[in-house]
Amino acid sequence: MATATMVLTRVKVQRRFGLALRVTVVLALLVLAALPLLLGGDVWAQRISRAAIYAVIGLSINTLTGHAGQISLGHQAFVGIGAFAAAFMASRLGAPLGFGLAAAGVAGAFTAVVIGLVALRVTGLYLALVTLAFGLTAETTIFNWREFTGGGAGAFAPRPAVLASDHAFALLCLGVLGLVLYLDWRIVSTKTGRALAAVRNNERIASTLGVNVTGYKLAAFSLSGLIAGLAGGLFAHWNQIVQAMDFEFQVALVWVLMTVVGGLRSRLGVILASAFFALLPLTLPNFLSSLPWQPPFLNEAVYHVLPPFIVVVMLLVVLRFFPGGFGQLLRPATDWLAGKRKQ
Amino acid sequence: MKRRQLLKVEGLMLRFGGLQVLNDLSLSVREGQIVGLIGPNGAGKTSCFNCLTGIYQPQGGRVFFDGRDVSHLPTHRRARLGMARTWQNLGVIDALTVTENVMLAQHQRAGYSALAGMLGLAGTWHRERELRRDAAEIIEYFGLEAVADERTGELPYGVRKTCDMAMALASDPKMLLLDEPASGLSPEEALGLADTLRELRDRLKLTILMIEHHVPLVAEVCDYVYVLNFGELLTEGEPAAIQRHPEVIAAYLGGTAEPTEPPEWPLQPEGAPHGTA
Ligand SMILES: Nc1ncnc2c1ncn2[C@@H]1O[C@H](COP(=O)(O)OP(=O)(O)OP(=O)(O)O)[C@@H](O)[C@H]1O
Ligand SMILES: [Mg+2]
Repeated sequence: MATATMVLTRVKVQRRFGLALRVTVVLALLVLAALPLLLGGDVWAQRISRAAIYAVIGLSINTLTGHAGQISLGHQAFVGIGAFAAAFMASRLGAPLGFGLAAAGVAGAFTAVVIGLVALRVTGLYLALVTLAFGLTAETTIFNWREFTGGGAGAFAPRPAVLASDHAFALLCLGVLGLVLYLDWRIVSTKTGRALAAVRNNERIASTLGVNVTGYKLAAFSLSGLIAGLAGGLFAHWNQIVQAMDFEFQVALVWVLMTVVGGLRSRLGVILASAFFALLPLTLPNFLSSLPWQPPFLNEAVYHVLPPFIVVVMLLVVLRFFPGGFGQLLRPATDWLAGKRKQ
Repeated sequence: MKRRQLLKVEGLMLRFGGLQVLNDLSLSVREGQIVGLIGPNGAGKTSCFNCLTGIYQPQGGRVFFDGRDVSHLPTHRRARLGMARTWQNLGVIDALTVTENVMLAQHQRAGYSALAGMLGLAGTWHRERELRRDAAEIIEYFGLEAVADERTGELPYGVRKTCDMAMALASDPKMLLLDEPASGLSPEEALGLADTLRELRDRLKLTILMIEHHVPLVAEVCDYVYVLNFGELLTEGEPAAIQRHPEVIAAYLGGTAEPTEPPEWPLQPEGAPHGTA
């Protein structure tokens, strides 16, 4: 008896110790992540905002592709419409930022539902083509609609006084990211996540289990659009000016592929990959120009196409070696942090 | 006293291109009955289930369930009225664990809206815990505890099949539509299934319509049997009568019936490979 009790106590102590260790590690990582914001000055605050906005976009794609199994190659349309809506609210109507972001989310959701209605009819490759065509069309029509977007000159999206500093704005972006992470976590922990998994894997089985497949698909589109629109609104105020050329097809391509590289349904993986691709265009030119040898073909135009090129290469590596993306590589660590024991 | 009809099908017509899969099929199942639907491969049994559940939209005919005309209801609405089914090629989601699959099947009785769950409103956490507990109970009833946290895709066929059955029950249905529940089971397991089915009927007041090739099981548990051949109803009746029906014997053997033949079941040999739905 005594030995059994001792063993039990030891296991309990070990578990408690394990929990304390895990909490410490998580806190340390968070502090580490917060260091650039605390010590890095405005440049780092701007970078963190941009990384957070990209992560929100990645999670928006994760909602649609990761959870519902639907593809969108026209995400720049949802994000862009959100950005222009926020800019319109701020500069034309002088509405408070909260209203602007709400309008951005609603505009994104509304646009996405329209696409979702199409997605009920077509799937797979055809859906990819439809969303691609939609994104390209939105780029040339809506985004060049002078009254709404200011035409080529762009639309201004001034920040309110409280968010004028880059640090305050970074906190807002991180707050929105936190909110979206919470939503994602609740989705996978409730019947919604299970229903979406069923829809993603087998619509017939899903429907015989009482899952409204149509409803869940549309809901996934609208939620994804809402989150994308919100990200667009943040982007507008981050840059303080929005132009049609910010939302070209190639950014949508980078977003979709970075989400896959990060790992569908892996929150941490998506965040890391998104942050990487958010910072890439900012750091790449400096990095390349600091190299001891400059390849002769490097110029502005090449910088522009490097991110899509890099993401495609990473995608190939990921698909070949770890199909679950960064999330799969991180799984042992995240499982340990989440307190899951080995099977 | 005659019991109420829970399921009634009238004049089902289903065509795929030039192929008449179901031709004027009518059948009914009374509350508390276990009814068999048998017939040779390709007779249209699974297609009939697909029409009942709304997966296929038949060109003609009506389906009444629990006193309502459900002919034009989408599949998920029929499921919510209490129709649950298993699949010939298994209705489990391979990417989910056994527990998750069973909890998925509880979808319609989760008791909170998708939005409430997403926002994490107060009641939803509690309900999730209750659902998990119920799921654990069902999993225990079917003896799946050991694999509860395994992905179903990685489990052997028999276990996944049991999981499919557990899922059908988890939705708290009025009626079970079972598509070949004994296929892939050993003869002893198949007879064990007979006890399970009777227990489900008696304890949970379930009504069962079952497609099955395994004859001893059909003879053992079914109150009534419909025989389908080339999409048409060949005959119907109590198992004992069906067993001696010359046309049934002919349909299964594909030749003329010998009326003097011993009353042995002429149906498919056990373990014969079945097509998938
Ligand atoms: N979606 C479909 N499209 C075209 N033909 C179909 C379809 N579904 C079923 N059929 C055809 O309908 C016929 C009946 O098929 P069904 O699966 O209903 O037979 P079954 O009685 O369940 O046979 P088994 O015992 O092999 O499961 C077959 O000839 C099949 O090819
Ligand atoms: Mg069949």
